Amino acid sequence: MAFSVLSIPKRIHKTFSNLRTGVVLLILTGIASALGTFILQRPATDPDKLARVYSPATLQWLDRLGLTDVFHTWWFLTLLGLVSLSIVLVSIDRFPNAWRFYARPYRKTDSHFRSALPNKVELPINNAEDGLNAAERGLKKSGWPVERIADAHNVTNSGSPADAAFASAGAVEPSLYSERHRFSVMAVYIVHASLLLIFAGGIIDGLFGYSGFMALQNGQTSNTIELRKGGTRQLPFAVKCNGAGQENYADGSPKRWWSRLAVVENGQQIKAKEIVVNDPLIHNGLRFYQASFGSTGKLEGLKVAVTQEAGSTAELTLAMNEPVQLDPKTTVTLAEYIPDFFIRDNQIFKKSDDPVNPAFRLQVKNTVTGEDAKLWMFPAYNPAAQGEYTKYKFDFRGMQMGYFTGLEVSHEPGQWLVWAGCLLMGAGLFVAFYLVHMRVWITAVTDARGNLVLWIGGQSNKNRDRFEQKFNELVDSIRSELEGASAIPFSAKREKPELTLAGVK
Amino acid sequence: MATRARVVQMEQRAATGGNALLVLVGLSITFLLIVALLGAAKSGGSLFSESNLLYVALIFYAGAGALYMGFGVTGTARYVKFASTATVIGLAANTLAVAHRWYQSGRPPFASIYEMLLSFVWTVALLTLVAEKKFGVKIIGSITMPLAVVCVILMQLLPSEVRPLVPALQSTWLHVHVTLAMLAYAACAVSFALAMMFLIQDGLKTETFLAWTSATVSAIYVAIVATRFDKGGLSVTAWDASTKSDLFLGRGMRLFVTIPDLGWLFVIAALAGLAPLALYFAGHWKKDESFLGIANRAIFIGILLQIVVLAAFALRAHDASYPSPDQDGLFPTSLAASPFLLGGMVTGIFASLLYLMLLWRREDLQGMLPSADTLDRVTYKTISIAFPLLTGMIATGAYWANRTWGSYWSWDPKETWAAITWLVYAGYLHMRITRGWRGRRAAYFAILGFGIVIFTFLGVTYLLPGLHAYA
Repeated sequence: MAFSVLSIPKRIHKTFSNLRTGVVLLILTGIASALGTFILQRPATDPDKLARVYSPATLQWLDRLGLTDVFHTWWFLTLLGLVSLSIVLVSIDRFPNAWRFYARPYRKTDSHFRSALPNKVELPINNAEDGLNAAERGLKKSGWPVERIADAHNVTNSGSPADAAFASAGAVEPSLYSERHRFSVMAVYIVHASLLLIFAGGIIDGLFGYSGFMALQNGQTSNTIELRKGGTRQLPFAVKCNGAGQENYADGSPKRWWSRLAVVENGQQIKAKEIVVNDPLIHNGLRFYQASFGSTGKLEGLKVAVTQEAGSTAELTLAMNEPVQLDPKTTVTLAEYIPDFFIRDNQIFKKSDDPVNPAFRLQVKNTVTGEDAKLWMFPAYNPAAQGEYTKYKFDFRGMQMGYFTGLEVSHEPGQWLVWAGCLLMGAGLFVAFYLVHMRVWITAVTDARGNLVLWIGGQSNKNRDRFEQKFNELVDSIRSELEGASAIPFSAKREKPELTLAGVK
Repeated sequence: MATRARVVQMEQRAATGGNALLVLVGLSITFLLIVALLGAAKSGGSLFSESNLLYVALIFYAGAGALYMGFGVTGTARYVKFASTATVIGLAANTLAVAHRWYQSGRPPFASIYEMLLSFVWTVALLTLVAEKKFGVKIIGSITMPLAVVCVILMQLLPSEVRPLVPALQSTWLHVHVTLAMLAYAACAVSFALAMMFLIQDGLKTETFLAWTSATVSAIYVAIVATRFDKGGLSVTAWDASTKSDLFLGRGMRLFVTIPDLGWLFVIAALAGLAPLALYFAGHWKKDESFLGIANRAIFIGILLQIVVLAAFALRAHDASYPSPDQDGLFPTSLAASPFLLGGMVTGIFASLLYLMLLWRREDLQGMLPSADTLDRVTYKTISIAFPLLTGMIATGAYWANRTWGSYWSWDPKETWAAITWLVYAGYLHMRITRGWRGRRAAYFAILGFGIVIFTFLGVTYLLPGLHAYA
């Protein structure tokens, strides 16, 4: 055969549309994915950890081969593309035949077909019409749908004398046809199509989707997010935090993080929602997830209980450097805050920024005389403030730390295709595994000895042992209908040995 | 006359011999139950506490396992019937334990590795009974019961307090996803057992089973030696008894201690595991069958050696302190810190025992099993149940991840390996439906699939880091 340029696309088509290629591609995808779990991947790992685990030379090679970011590297994406291509080509190859099978069912049997069928039985009958009627009743009783096929075209031109007799009589040869779940032959194409749908969703998200992080302090509004892959992005609208918090269990572990968010467009708060983990705020295709909650480390206020000498107690919150009037002549100000202090040479120094051992300096000022009393409060040792004399006593009641709520923000336009694909795949798998395409043909023919018999034959595309059981039940049902209708006693039934799971009985 | 008398005599002796193990197992179960009862009464705790119920389940599962093994040794078919009954009672106790925990915590048991094992064992026991009653494969318990016993033993070592759920786990999708996962993995486990039985029934040579058993046992011990051998000692995780968790050096880095000299025992065990494999190959090369006889004896000795190593490990690793190469001082460790080492060792012992059962009682086993063709078909049916469940597990996991972390697929190691598992079973179905792969090849595929399931379920959690840190 002459070699022609046209055969190259055909060759490619042939390579990619056969099952072996598909399986090889699946194996390669599996191996590549496994590598991506064993080798540390850049997006999720600290650069120092990478430097610790791999030598510089190894790391260089891993980077060059793309093994440190397998799932975003060009060859992995190409691999997935080839898998998709293989699915598409195989489906295109096989679909026409499947469609032909589906759209034009083989409702009438010829003698070749009849002899080749695995499940078949011949029951003697008086006349064709009674036989077929009994069969119809039997089918209906067993829950099978019935179609009467009255067909003037002869499918019985096999040359055998019996068929020839019918042919020459020009008779319309009626027969019965019953089938269930024809749709199941399409199931495999649905499953593969759903897989392509999922891939399409993933591709769209890969190209047009983005995700990032936004930290909002109480009262803060922002429309910028830090993208996961680096850099920032401005959102089409802003989000404001109107409060956030954390609830703990009795043992101190976090139970619930919540944030009250509002969507701000053109200065107006148009939508508000309190979000928690597992329940995001969704607006215009963007989703805001409660991811974390933390302290900014800044002190917002110091809560104190103020007691006048032999007088009442009041609770105050002191903000840094903001005087609070205690009485017309006296003010108190929080003048200094050290999160973690230590004393050396009678001086107070800062040890660290962790608010584990705080110190507060309060200044009580007499606005008339200008006297300034200095008091220190070390809550870890003594809740009462100590220092120069004032007629007020201050007791520590708590610290209000600034907090931020951590939000994950994502835009995934393709996710709807992914969910549609998942649902479709579920339906497809159900039909593929649990709906069996079963067909039964019943026709009146003359057998080899010239007697009129009711020929019953059946076939299923999977689960053959279960179908045999159903087929035998159907035959019994038809038999009982025939017995009721005619007086011909039955000759030895062609009994098939019943196959059960315990072995042949 | 004399012949008849002799036959009657032999039958009587067989009957008494047959009763011996039943009586022994029955007495042991009763004894252990009474001890547990007395212990519970003495400590004043509730009789029907979850741990007591689980202990009862363990006793009956172990009894069932012993009876299956007893069948392996003596060939008495009656043992299997009693083993079934023991499984049913064990399942009842297990169900009560699950119900108790559910009631106590207010949610189904899915939130920690302890709870996951509890659910898994329950599912495995249930599916064993289903496989027996529905598919008629009565001997399946000989593989699944030892598995259940191993899991329950592991559970005794894991922290079992009802911990409140962290925010990310507070979702209905948790229940859906985990239920699907448990059902899918249990179905894969059953398909594995069926595929093994198919190979037995299909006439796979006993010596091939010898080679694979020996390979599995060696792999376990070589893996332990490769990852934990440290200058003659064995490196294990340090354990903090107060928080009932591993001791951590810093973020995500566990502290390891070295138990001196124990490493050498594992090296010996690894060599003993390799011996039958080496003899198998030598026998093939030299075309000499006598090597196989020696290899079988080597497996038997190997079992004894493995039990010794297990005992030595248990004695030395339980509640003792050892030095660490990373930090100065002695740090405590406990058996609870090494669930995988223990699991691996017990698996090795059970695999060897099951091989001996095959070696000594193959004809009886083959008589009890359905035909190879039936087993092949039932394996396929089980996988056609497992595959949609796996698909549902991955899909619900993705949807839940999207609601919690904002991304439905982040190539997290657990997600990726779940996808690889899915691909392997998809491969099985393709090869079977389209290429007509039946019989042996299909069975090998099913066994490989289950190996990957084990890695996805357990290996990823402990060997690879990621978001799926909960279980």
